[in-house]
Amino acid sequence: MKKKILIKDFIETVEDFDLNIKLLAGERGLEKEISVGDINRPGLTLAGFYDFFAPDRLQIFGLGETAYMNKLSHKEKEEKYGRFFSYDIMCCIFTHNETPDPLFVEYCGKRGVPLLVTDRKTSRFISSLVHILDEMFAETVTVHGTLVDVFGIGVLLFGKSGAGKSECALELIERGHRLVADDMVVIKKIEEALLLGSGTPMLRHHMEIRGLGIVNVRDIFGIRSVRNRKRIDLIVLLEEWDSTKEYDRLGLEDKKYTILDMEIPYLIIPVKPGRNIPVLIETASLNQRLKKLGVFSAIEFDRKIRDWIKTENSN
Amino acid sequence: MVEKEVVVKSDAGVHARPAMMLVREAMKYQCSVKLIKDDVEADCKSIMSVLGLAIYSGTKLIVRADGEGEKEVVEKLADLIDSDFKNN
Repeated sequence: MKKKILIKDFIETVEDFDLNIKLLAGERGLEKEISVGDINRPGLTLAGFYDFFAPDRLQIFGLGETAYMNKLSHKEKEEKYGRFFSYDIMCCIFTHNETPDPLFVEYCGKRGVPLLVTDRKTSRFISSLVHILDEMFAETVTVHGTLVDVFGIGVLLFGKSGAGKSECALELIERGHRLVADDMVVIKKIEEALLLGSGTPMLRHHMEIRGLGIVNVRDIFGIRSVRNRKRIDLIVLLEEWDSTKEYDRLGLEDKKYTILDMEIPYLIIPVKPGRNIPVLIETASLNQRLKKLGVFSAIEFDRKIRDWIKTENSN
Repeated sequence: MVEKEVVVKSDAGVHARPAMMLVREAMKYQCSVKLIKDDVEADCKSIMSVLGLAIYSGTKLIVRADGEGEKEVVEKLADLIDSDFKNN
């Protein structure tokens, strides 16, 4: 799914990240769509080298660019800015609170190029920006499930309606773990490396529990019971116990579940009355933490048994 | 699999009560029932999912069902939405 990201959405998100950013000119261009999540330093371009110039990227003007522009005579400015703005420039951002000269501002206004100023240093600003753009342009999917942070492991619970996902999450919250999202989990793939899950803003931290109705987890259990986003480390499918089905008894193989082309460790936990699912999930999370550290309980245990058999045989 | 496109007309959109009516209807069937808005898919058997779609007046929705009774449930839900949730 291709997402449409407008410059005004981008500015809003940047503001959310507490990067002081101000719009100086070019309001007309706020409805423009950002097509690439990349940035460009236009130093070479201003100096007259236009090969490989990407006007559709966000143009970042640091101290170098502003110092260069300040040294230009009025005539040079007219000529250079004229050429620069003959391209369809997406957006110009000045760092270090440097405001460009009136001619540049005028060009931005005339051509409808949003002109932004931030008080941040260039390299810091760029690193935050890359992070923000990556997230805005990330592939996204919405799934039906419940996401809980259990001992720092993001556990995504799957299961049919009525399988007990919400009840299980409630018990986990009672035990001091945190709810990220219930029922609708928005998953973003960040930098091909991790899946980040969050709730939708509308539902944030509300749950529907059969028999109770809709409850606000944050209001009932307090701020420590919730968090807004969490990396997904483990997927658990809760399903009704089926006596004809073989369940994993050893855990020697690592099963994976694929979301947005990323493979996430996956467990199927059969549910039946009397099974304490939250405890199982806590244990699975701790086991997952061990695996991340390179300790694989089932394989290690198997190795011990084999070693023992070997020594017994040789005696 | 059966699907049908509907447009929500009720001024208040799908708030808690209409959402509950949709879920209650969907729960009567064994098949999977989804509501799709702008590529976002919600399980029609979960109140929170339906509410999370933020369905307001004028929203285009696709009702999709797969499994036993798919045809019937899609018709029932489409009628419910078409009638501004005045059924029952």
